Amino acid sequence: MKRSLIFAAALAASALAGIDARAQDAPVTLTWQMWGQPNDAELWQQLADLVTEQYPDIRVKLQLSGWADYWTRLPVLAASGEIADIISMQSMRLPNFYSILAPLDDYVKGGDVKVADFETSIMSGLSQDGSLYALPYDVGPWMVFYNRDKFAAAGLKEPAKDWTFDDFKANAKALTKDGTYGYGTQAFDFIAGPVALGADYFNDDSEFDLTNAGFVGAFSKYADLTAQDKLSPVFASAADASAASGRFASGNVAMYIDGPWSLITGQANVNFKIGIAPLPRGSGPSRFITAGSGWGISATSQHKDAAFKALQVLTGPKAAEILGSAGRALPARLAQQTAWYDGAAKNVAGTRDTLEYMFAHTTPFRINDKWNQFENLVMQYVPLALTGDTKPDVVLSDIQSQLP
Amino acid sequence: MMLGKHTDLIARPRPRSHKWFRGEGWTALFFLLPGLIGIVLFLVLPILASIVLSFTNWQLLGSPRFVGISNYVRLFTTDPQFWTVLRNTLFFTVEYLVLNIIISLGLATWISSLKFGQRWFRVIFFLPTFTPLIAVAMVWMLIFTSGGLFDSLMASLSVPLAGVLNDRTLAMQAVVLTSIWAGVGYNTVLFNAALDMVPSTYLEAARIDGATAWDRFWKIRLPLISPTLFFGTVMTAITSLQVFDQIYVMTKGGPGSSTATLGYAIYQRGFQNFQMGYASAIAWVMFALIMALTALQFWFQRKWVHYDA
Repeated sequence: MKRSLIFAAALAASALAGIDARAQDAPVTLTWQMWGQPNDAELWQQLADLVTEQYPDIRVKLQLSGWADYWTRLPVLAASGEIADIISMQSMRLPNFYSILAPLDDYVKGGDVKVADFETSIMSGLSQDGSLYALPYDVGPWMVFYNRDKFAAAGLKEPAKDWTFDDFKANAKALTKDGTYGYGTQAFDFIAGPVALGADYFNDDSEFDLTNAGFVGAFSKYADLTAQDKLSPVFASAADASAASGRFASGNVAMYIDGPWSLITGQANVNFKIGIAPLPRGSGPSRFITAGSGWGISATSQHKDAAFKALQVLTGPKAAEILGSAGRALPARLAQQTAWYDGAAKNVAGTRDTLEYMFAHTTPFRINDKWNQFENLVMQYVPLALTGDTKPDVVLSDIQSQLP
Repeated sequence: MMLGKHTDLIARPRPRSHKWFRGEGWTALFFLLPGLIGIVLFLVLPILASIVLSFTNWQLLGSPRFVGISNYVRLFTTDPQFWTVLRNTLFFTVEYLVLNIIISLGLATWISSLKFGQRWFRVIFFLPTFTPLIAVAMVWMLIFTSGGLFDSLMASLSVPLAGVLNDRTLAMQAVVLTSIWAGVGYNTVLFNAALDMVPSTYLEAARIDGATAWDRFWKIRLPLISPTLFFGTVMTAITSLQVFDQIYVMTKGGPGSSTATLGYAIYQRGFQNFQMGYASAIAWVMFALIMALTALQFWFQRKWVHYDA
């Protein structure tokens, strides 16, 4: 009796689904390749469910892998034709991978996506040769995280939004005492830092030109903080790229450079008040680079139209609010950034002010297909400039000589 | 009748392949198949593919384009890194090989001279061999990291050694030390077993003739274990030419390129820079190097290895 009832219900349900399907397109299941920890799965699944909520015929199947594995798997899956319909992409990796993505310009023109709703620097970050390849879900500039308690204890004023490198250095000096450092340097500081000081690592043809006087000068300023003034510990060539965040959390360094994506975990790990400030500027006006991630459609997908529908939901206002209030991402959608400011950043005074200042002063983050190689070389060679073993200009020409 | 059949066979020789696949040949092939398929699919084909790849500019994405020998030309003439990498690899191999053989032979001799606890010491020294090298390297990296255990130990001994992993010359020494710790146990057990096989009658006879312990070691035991010593040397040399794990965990080839080895260069070019064709070319150079050095050792063995025990 009971069984037959269930059977009848199932029959009715399938009949309903059938009618529904005939009314619209045939139901499709899209695969979505994303990076993240296993405990992120729930959050991403929530977004996938949003798609089905809006388009009952579209199911999005999440395929999660760890961050490092993701980038090893991606080219292999692409080469073997096993790649998902929706692919996650980080702005700094786009020059290596844009060829596996479908350009989105025509879809954007034909769809309801308004480009102006998104932060501009990340839209250009996810474009290659003038074509958009992914819609962003998060964005963030590199900025200075500082220990508010230590600033107060040392009697220092909180950094101004347009503070200069000399202010930064003076603060680092005042904070370096009793076995703790004012600043914890990391590999990426030698890219974001010099740019903020007004230097360029590229020539006009987007080729590496690390030995130009401006870049050497700005790079040396950052290197000398460690080599000459001993205001920061040296990082090792095999160090975790985020080693300084550990030192910052344990109170061993008072300032380090990171992005808004670290703020929520950063706050959970510390027992002091965190402050954030823009990167220090040189003699010219402030300028900052941003990075972020988004989702694109595989060039070989059989369901591109459905995938774009899904993409609009995944990067839509509702999804942005979910990610923002969970603290997972500072939304690339300007209107939804409030969710993050009121959520992840609610205990960090001045965050909105600082970030809005930084977004108003972004400069395009220029990269090419050798970018990955460049970052690895920075990691490998910069420690020599920090120990004082090699002069900064020699380190830069060593790196330059290996970039064809 | 029988004879006629035989002459018949001799008169009309069949192609050799027929002979192979008759009767037991097919059975043998059938039983070999599982292993054979595995070897062909996962060893022979990838090796052949990598030869082909080394003549292309394959970037992992997109289709490869044939570029002739230009990968090899670039490697030997314009790559600013290659000779450094080669020098590092040979430096590591020589230092590690010499230290490993001396230490493991010393330990093996010491253990075989013990009256009690031989088995325990064998187990203790063998332990690192079945510990994953990545885990071993992680622990040593934490020991050597600046401000780590090693630094505070040196500070308390007033030795001015700190931050060895950030030092051009000392970083390689840290890698060698880690490798020794992880690799010496295998050879120790190997040599110890060989030493125990030396007939005690030879040693007793020598003792009666008045040979000192020193003489007995150099003139009797060492020549008698020389085949094992040779095996250990060849295998250790091959694995140390391929060194990767320790470098990947402890230094990532740095600081600068002071610990970049061939194995690490292949990984870096192939999987970080996506230059698969170029990485394949380096892999083949490494293969040729290992072949040549191993052949050289086999040639030299005639001078010092005695198989007539």
